[in-house]
Amino acid sequence: MSTTTTTPTIAPDVVETEAPAKQWSGQNVPRKEDKRLVQGQGVFVDDVKRHGMGFVHFVRSPFAHAHITSIDVSKAEEIGGVYGTLTGEEVASLTDPFFQLSTPPGAHLEDYALALGKVRFVGEPVVAVVAETRELARDASELVEVEYEPLDPISDARRAQDGQAPILHEAAGSNVMWEGVYEWGDLDAAFAEADRIVKIKELHFHRFNSTPLECDGALVEYNRGTAQWTIHTNNQFPGFAAIMMGPAMRCGLDKLRFVTQDIGGGFGNKITSHPQLVVCCLLARKLRRPIQWTEWRTDFHLSMSHGNERWFHDTEVAVKADGTLLGFRTKALDDAGAWLRYEPLGGVIWAQVTPGMYRWRHIRLDFTQVATNKAPVSPNRGYSRMQHLWFTERVIDIVAHELDLDPVEVRKRNYIRADEMPYETPNGCVYDSGDYAKMLDVALDLIGWSGIDERRRDAEARGKLLGVGIGSTLDSGTNNFGQSRMINPELQFSGNNEVATVKLDIFGEIVVTLGTTPQGQGHETTAAQVVADILSCSVDDVHVRAGHDSYWNSHAGFSGTYASQFAVTGLGAVKGATDLLAGEIKKLGSVILGAPEEALELAEGTVRIKGTPEAALPFMACGAIINANNAGLPEDLGVTLNCRYVYRPQFEVPDVERKFGNLTLTYAAQVHAAVVEIDPETGAYDVVDYVAVDDCGKRINPQIVEGQVMGATAQALGAATHEQFVYDEDGNLLTPNFYDYHVPHALDMPPLQTGYIESASPFTPLGTKGMGEGGGAGIHAVCAAIQDALRSRGGAIVWDSCNPYHRVWEMLEHPERTRELVEVVER
Amino acid sequence: MEPTAATVSPARQITVTINGTTYEREVEARKLLIHFIRDDLDLTGSHIGCDTGNCGACSVIVDGTLLKSCMLLAVQADGASIETVEGIADDDELTKLQQSFSDRHALQCGYCTPGMLMSATALLRANPQPTEEEIRKALQGNICRCTGYWNIFEAVKDAADGAGA
Amino acid sequence: MLLREVGYARPSSLDEALSLLAATDGARALAGGQTLVNVMKARAASPDALIDLNGLGELKGIDLAADGTLRIGAMATYTEIAESAEARARPILGEVCATIADVQVRNRGTIGGNVCSNDPTNHLPPLLAAVGAQMTIAGAGGERTVPADDFFLGVYMTAVGPDELLTSITVPPGKSDGFASVTLGADGTCIVSAAASIDGGVRVALGCVDAVPVVLQPESADEQAVRAAVREARLDPPSDVHASSEYRAHLAGVLAVRAANDASHRARS
Repeated sequence: MSTTTTTPTIAPDVVETEAPAKQWSGQNVPRKEDKRLVQGQGVFVDDVKRHGMGFVHFVRSPFAHAHITSIDVSKAEEIGGVYGTLTGEEVASLTDPFFQLSTPPGAHLEDYALALGKVRFVGEPVVAVVAETRELARDASELVEVEYEPLDPISDARRAQDGQAPILHEAAGSNVMWEGVYEWGDLDAAFAEADRIVKIKELHFHRFNSTPLECDGALVEYNRGTAQWTIHTNNQFPGFAAIMMGPAMRCGLDKLRFVTQDIGGGFGNKITSHPQLVVCCLLARKLRRPIQWTEWRTDFHLSMSHGNERWFHDTEVAVKADGTLLGFRTKALDDAGAWLRYEPLGGVIWAQVTPGMYRWRHIRLDFTQVATNKAPVSPNRGYSRMQHLWFTERVIDIVAHELDLDPVEVRKRNYIRADEMPYETPNGCVYDSGDYAKMLDVALDLIGWSGIDERRRDAEARGKLLGVGIGSTLDSGTNNFGQSRMINPELQFSGNNEVATVKLDIFGEIVVTLGTTPQGQGHETTAAQVVADILSCSVDDVHVRAGHDSYWNSHAGFSGTYASQFAVTGLGAVKGATDLLAGEIKKLGSVILGAPEEALELAEGTVRIKGTPEAALPFMACGAIINANNAGLPEDLGVTLNCRYVYRPQFEVPDVERKFGNLTLTYAAQVHAAVVEIDPETGAYDVVDYVAVDDCGKRINPQIVEGQVMGATAQALGAATHEQFVYDEDGNLLTPNFYDYHVPHALDMPPLQTGYIESASPFTPLGTKGMGEGGGAGIHAVCAAIQDALRSRGGAIVWDSCNPYHRVWEMLEHPERTRELVEVVER
Repeated sequence: MEPTAATVSPARQITVTINGTTYEREVEARKLLIHFIRDDLDLTGSHIGCDTGNCGACSVIVDGTLLKSCMLLAVQADGASIETVEGIADDDELTKLQQSFSDRHALQCGYCTPGMLMSATALLRANPQPTEEEIRKALQGNICRCTGYWNIFEAVKDAADGAGA
Repeated sequence: MLLREVGYARPSSLDEALSLLAATDGARALAGGQTLVNVMKARAASPDALIDLNGLGELKGIDLAADGTLRIGAMATYTEIAESAEARARPILGEVCATIADVQVRNRGTIGGNVCSNDPTNHLPPLLAAVGAQMTIAGAGGERTVPADDFFLGVYMTAVGPDELLTSITVPPGKSDGFASVTLGADGTCIVSAAASIDGGVRVALGCVDAVPVVLQPESADEQAVRAAVREARLDPPSDVHASSEYRAHLAGVLAVRAANDASHRARS
């Protein structure tokens, strides 16, 4: 592999607001988080210890589908040093089932924190054993006797609705967990106007996730006097966890205190640990000691937060001869796994990006989500939008392929244009800003598009098939949770929010608390940059508390770090709180300095009279006066120097009937280009060159933004090539650890160039857009590149999002099998 | 009877020096070195990211050799001198390598970072001016899910020009 | 991730190690641990006792005899072999060792552990079968030597008996060798591997296609002859998540040719 360079090669296309003398925003301010992390002094959840804590080990189901006929924990409990156990029966007596988001039949699921009566996936927790040491808990778990009566499992979502398919949830009576039809525009007219109809029988987006290096975990303490739990954990969405856990545990949400500090990656996969957290809470109360839970890698792969696996069947695309896309219809079949944990929200979240980046107006998507005997699906980086955007990109490339058009030209012809922004999509979402064609040009330039043919010939001389592919994608951020009502009109959620507090302490310390739960996104640093800009002080004077504690600022309903939104919601809350604080400082300054507020400015860590810098009140003095020396201040001063702000984006409740409305506030975008070289004798291939161009509006810390783009790229490359959760017919997971589930390592990385443009969002306090998830552009690009490479060898269609070597070989050997998936009808 | 080297016993007394401090502890033979370091000695800088020896988050230097401490038993470290991330720097100051990681944004969540630093430290001791290919090869046993590795390569290159590895 | 209770001993001589193995029920030798410790973490196998070989100087060392024969101690690590000047007498060994997994694994994993665990995806069994290695085994009754062709008996099974230890591997000098593989990622687990050696005749050994390396003796190193030999072997490789049986069989043919070409090329240079 040759050298990597990361060079922003295009001047930022910035929408200027104001440009004061020195701005922290826009600078690569070194991260505050780094020192403790490079010293090995970070505090991750497994680092948290308590005297007398009991270590919990979960006994997990070896069967994909079975009745539990008996559970006997007596032998385990007899072992010295074993503190106790918990079974599903106990859980059912102490808690109510978790709230279900779905309508019937999914609404009828009875989901408890441990399996009750039945197991529905290999690895499902059945019994919890707590002991003095980790090893002892593990040993004792082998003495727990669980008798099972195996049932036929179902592991292929396409069979879940067959007459003879085993039913996972008797209470639901069906494996269909949710279904809905989305239709906008006039499909009949579009298909009548089309010159060609491109039919694609089947496309498959595979099951994988982001496998954060740190797995889930918790250290839970119970206060017997106040009946309150302190949950040290790395759950990345405490707002959601609290809403799920409180009602189940029959306690008020204030009894659940979530504390996080350093989290070793989340990527969405640490949102649905609430069942295990409930187990820990119940055990902490039952056994009267702190409970420590470490999830091991295999546990995580078997049971936690697999990404949506989605089939797209019977796709039909209406297109003009020149490549203008008019519309499409498709049937999306989503595999939710054994339980709905956050699902079926994936059934609507894709609609944030219904048309992808393209201008077609006539769209129908029939969405069916089914249960199978596999791990429950929960958010994974790019959640539900990535699957849909992959689908739109496959459509673009397949249509181009079949009509013998250049995929670049088809994109340019159909991309939503910069002058159409803000752009309302067929279902009422508003893309705030962007210039996709410009990004594509940057990507083409960086990848050396004009020299591709020569590269192709050079590769051929070395016996390789070269292919180049484009992958474009959107990263929609800041959800309107009202979209959940399109899943279930009864749900009482809408809008979004995030909280922050900023205070000036007695000795002038500026202290910020966030509602978020960062897992490496650098919130402590970017928040400090925003605060320092508003207060005109140094970032070094701003202390942002690490992590999340629901007792600091009483989280808003949606507090957490997920769904590409911190730069909007988190920083919006920080800005709001700091604006309030700045106002209060000026108000106090006005009283002390004897000048009207308009005559004052904040500068160099003081409030002072403009033009008379000696007439200044340092922040330290402000803090001292309000906190400890406040006699003589006016009665109605109303200054506390402790400001709390909840940022609330402007949303309406969507029209549930028409499934219409704005579902996300911002739309970051990425355009990637990949070059692959395939060994035609083996199907093995390398990604030999790669470009990622992004646009997330105003960049508060460019280095942090680039880091997110690179990380998303690397994960997408892994998913595109090798990462899959593969099940056999009996429901056994064949990739339960890093030995078989191959993630990219250092030698796997292609050379990378990056570029960017900045299209500020008109809708956000700072012009920023949430970013971080990325949208899986690497998967789209690699699929496109492989299909391009195979053009000269039978023109196979890439129909699956994961293309390990064996699949490429199959496409080389039998291109006709994939070609059978596509048909072009002339009108 | 005290277990000698040549008797089979389920536990034994071990003496281990870590970052210059010597510890004497009784440990079960089955205890992994990484658990001994983290749980018994409260040196939580070394991390666990997998259960098959693939991820490298547990990497430490044992008697000058870079190893994954999840595939060693604590009893095997009897008499050994071990370096972990907590001992990379002499005091609270950062080494050039640690500073380079921060400057180049070669860490995001920080979970793989201690292992990366140990592997990079071992590399730079043996090879003070590595090529990028050599850096990749040296870090092949350390998985990162956040950064994509590119910034990590740059950070190691930066550190290679100076002392303090 | 958490091992069952296990006994442990650290002998300081080969004789001591052999005595302990013989005297202790359910004892297993612990070499580099880069496989065995993971097996024990998964509780897929839980020996009652581990006899740690890492203190046995007698099992270390890489020596060249006067006739150029290379003797490699069973406890030589992949790193030691890759960096050994003596091992350059048979360069393919160090080259392949340098591609196993990663630095940490190579610093501790041993050639003896690799061949004695005989995982079908291991690199060294087919390589040593191709180069005609001799395995020296020690037991209570003394030493015996087993050629590679008779050493690998089944999945995880070799000619080393329960109270015996592999002490060294002997390889004649030579450079007309080749190795080709398709791996799961760079330096990853082998999906299929092939080793070839030209020394008068041609030997090709295929890995990952059967319980043990499949050794072929094509009429020449030419593509046609090698492919014919692979066909005649009537391979029926295992299917798993990474490859179907058909794909493995196909790869075997391709990689056998590449390994043979590599060996030919080195023979000429």
